[in-house]
Amino acid sequence: MTTFIIVLCLVVMVGFAISAAMLRSMLKSAVSLAAMSAALAVILYMMGAIWAALFELSVCVGLITVVFISAISLTTPDRRDEAHAADHRRRFAALPFILIALGAAIIAVLVYTGFSLPLPGEEAVAEATFNQVFWQTRQADILGQILMLLAGAFAVVVLFKEGKKI
Amino acid sequence: MNVLSIAILTAALLLIVTGLYMLVRTYNMIRIIIAVEVAMKAITLLLAYAGWLNGQTALSQAFVVTIIVMEVVVAVVAAGLAISSFRKNGDVDIRRLNKLNG
Repeated sequence: MTTFIIVLCLVVMVGFAISAAMLRSMLKSAVSLAAMSAALAVILYMMGAIWAALFELSVCVGLITVVFISAISLTTPDRRDEAHAADHRRRFAALPFILIALGAAIIAVLVYTGFSLPLPGEEAVAEATFNQVFWQTRQADILGQILMLLAGAFAVVVLFKEGKKI
Repeated sequence: MNVLSIAILTAALLLIVTGLYMLVRTYNMIRIIIAVEVAMKAITLLLAYAGWLNGQTALSQAFVVTIIVMEVVVAVVAAGLAISSFRKNGDVDIRRLNKLNG
């Protein structure tokens, strides 16, 4: 059952990735990306990464989508002309065919070569809890995250700073 | 043959190719951010799968959380850059960024 749900979510992810690329409406592309993140959150949950799934669902589906929709509403001009639509269709027309061919080739190579990874849990080690790993083993990561967030906030402040009028 | 490993590896590679194709074929800054996000989802998926395989889910979750924070910062800064470019040039064409100065 776990395998079926994960494979189903993978198909959903790839489908929404293609729609994010091919849809002309930026808003629909952003919503496709959010749906893709939701499918990834389900996969993470099925893999036992519950905290990662929670972060993926709240941050990527929620916060990033809000950022995208705000940016789109502030920037995208109203372009409904047919020439622009045709240009967009022409740019991305080859993508589904490339992905189908590539996917078939990858599966063929993996099956032909007998590629196989161990099943989950076969190489299980004594596992620490997420809290122990995150707060005790990976303290440098937390420091890096704090610095990145500060750098991002500083970058946004600089980007929207009102310049001196000369 | 492990169906799950083949499905996950294939999907991750297809997601990366989709992101790269979008990066190559568009000049719209917002679409470029979406392309980067699509490719980063594949990396998140592979990290979580690696942790699941090795029985070290907690460690992989720590990495995934770090990647999510990076995604947010990249998306916010790039969106700010797109908005600044739109205010200056009237569109979000990445080719106009070479006109920024100061």
